[in-house]
Amino acid sequence: MLNVANLTASIEDNPILKGIDLNVGAGEVHAIMGPNGSGKSTFAHALAGRDGYEIEGTATIDGADLLEMEPEERAAAGVFMGFQYPVEIPGVNNMYFLRTALNSVRRTRGEDEIGARDFLEIAQKAMDLVEMKKDFLHRSVNAGFSGGEKKRNEILQMAVMEPRLAVLDETDSGLDIDALRVVAAGVNALRGPDRSMIVITHYQRLLDYIKPDFVHVLVDGKIVESGDHTLAVHLEDHGYAGFLNSGLDDASLSGATA
Amino acid sequence: MSGTVSALRAEALELVESLHLPTKRDEAWRYAPHKTLSELTFGPATATDALPTDIDDQVPALDGPRIVIVNGVVDATRSQLGSLPAGVQMVSLDDADQSEQRSEVDAKAADDAFSILNRAYGDGGAFLQIDGQPTETIHIVDIAVPGETQNASASRVVIDMAVGSSATVVETRIGSGDAFGGSNVCTEISLAANASLEHIILQDLPSTQVHLGRVDVVQAAESNLRARLFNLGSDYGRVAYHVHLNGEGAHADLSGLYFGFGTQTLDQQITVVHDAKDCTSRQSYRGVLDDSSTGVWNGGVDVRKGADGTDSEQSNDNLLLSRQADVNTMPRLEILADEVSCQHGATVGQLDDEALYYMRSRGIPKDEASRLLIKGFADQTMDDIESDAIRTWITERLGHDDA
Ligand SMILES: Nc1ncnc2c1ncn2[C@@H]1O[C@H](COP(=O)(O)OP(=O)(O)OP(=O)(O)O)[C@@H](O)[C@H]1O
Ligand SMILES: [Mg+2]
Repeated sequence: MLNVANLTASIEDNPILKGIDLNVGAGEVHAIMGPNGSGKSTFAHALAGRDGYEIEGTATIDGADLLEMEPEERAAAGVFMGFQYPVEIPGVNNMYFLRTALNSVRRTRGEDEIGARDFLEIAQKAMDLVEMKKDFLHRSVNAGFSGGEKKRNEILQMAVMEPRLAVLDETDSGLDIDALRVVAAGVNALRGPDRSMIVITHYQRLLDYIKPDFVHVLVDGKIVESGDHTLAVHLEDHGYAGFLNSGLDDASLSGATA
Repeated sequence: MSGTVSALRAEALELVESLHLPTKRDEAWRYAPHKTLSELTFGPATATDALPTDIDDQVPALDGPRIVIVNGVVDATRSQLGSLPAGVQMVSLDDADQSEQRSEVDAKAADDAFSILNRAYGDGGAFLQIDGQPTETIHIVDIAVPGETQNASASRVVIDMAVGSSATVVETRIGSGDAFGGSNVCTEISLAANASLEHIILQDLPSTQVHLGRVDVVQAAESNLRARLFNLGSDYGRVAYHVHLNGEGAHADLSGLYFGFGTQTLDQQITVVHDAKDCTSRQSYRGVLDDSSTGVWNGGVDVRKGADGTDSEQSNDNLLLSRQADVNTMPRLEILADEVSCQHGATVGQLDDEALYYMRSRGIPKDEASRLLIKGFADQTMDDIESDAIRTWITERLGHDDA
């Protein structure tokens, strides 16, 4: 479903991603772990289509070239990214934003738009899934939301958008124990044979809830190790020390406390 | 320096002979198009019949009482002055009893050329006296129709709020035709003790015209002003507020939106004078400037001696949508009293790239995302406007109505 080959990304001549190969099959869940600054978010943004990177290599979704598409076209192709730092948009109503997003991708796909009333039902279901209070729909997008509320809102959006590929960047960071369970349950509920996920996290705890099919370790812009979920357990016990080879000056950051 | 209205008019007519138009060196007129202003021609108000019969599609659809002023002359047929709500008196200025002395504050303040022109020629307009709590919104419509012999009109609005009264008054200012010209409207508001007024100006003259507005407010103890400005039309659209807080505990809350396109210059000049103890004032304006339009926000707070316990806040936030757009924002503060709290802040920014990307990553196309962000920024200025008719008018005017 998602095929990434020799993907590199640099910002103003600084190489950040140094050749990523990753194949995610339909229905699979892949976890990506790695020290701070190793390029995890950059990888997620490269898939979502953020401006400002010099990108080479290939990334296709169901055979279609992702790298040629604008961010909104990628969304229509089924890519959804849960932001590590969701953006506040004062003055734009959350519910209106969600409906506009859903109808925009539907329009691009040649599907009928969904009216306000039907949308309310879809939104309600998503709200129940992430146990979010109704008034959040009537507030401005993420404006004044607590860190944890923003992350729930990301999952809410994912539930509404029903993407082909979800890339969740540290959706578990900043969540309390109950919220973590809610978010994980949301993610699990959305798992399905047609939906693939890439879950970026620093904590094995999340992976206890969301059992990934594969775990990859990203260090200094490259995937240095891949394995099954037991790899996460190993990392939890031993840190990244074993993967940090020479030339890395940020090794001390490996004990993340996000 | 006080005098009757007619004495002031006679004096103004003399001054007109040797009038000095404002120049770049006058701080309050620094960004005005001086050459254009010199081409405005004023004279005694004369009725015109060069006005399309239907003006209703240009003004908010309010049901309440309405007075329509065309080129400084009240148009009785377009007005709705029958069966006014209890406590409301609204008549043409010609019919109002104006023998009263104008307060010294009023008479002295306005010494710029266009105020003098307004005093000299602006003897037509609306006189509104409120002694009660009418619930219907009162509508004053001012229409400028540039003529052959004189292209600019002058008119006055007088709003007099009795003790404990409350009301909402909307002044819609528009123009007709595509000839050069403009309007010069002076509003005099007095709020007696405990009176409360919501005063809304919708400025939407054609882009071939100029609008010069001035609002003088005098507030007694515990009175409450809520002034809202939507400065949208005209090639040069200007509204100046001079608010005097003369009684203890008075509160003035001024806010507004200016939204410029093309080569428009939208100019807001605000001065709030704290002249009594424990008064509060708020100024909060937003500007959106597209193409090569210019915004001006010159907001001052003047805390006089003895106005202890003053509490004021000023903010001005601007969104520039193009490289050619520009804004000049100048908060001013002068404090001669003790124990005051005065805050101000101004921002100038572009559309937030991160927010745009976030929205696009959710599938919303770039143009639509920009539109939503602009609308989100601008619409916050009408958060506390209760009238649906006014909200609808603003929303449609800004092209935000397909939401
Ligand atoms: N705009 C930018 N300009 C310069 N360097 C950047 C820019 N954005 C990211 N980087 C650098 O790229 C590297 C990778 O950043 P990235 O955010 O992808 O890391 P990460 O793995 O997600 O880290 P974390 O675990 O802290 O979230 C970092 O060294 C970062 O400083
Ligand atoms: Mg990151």
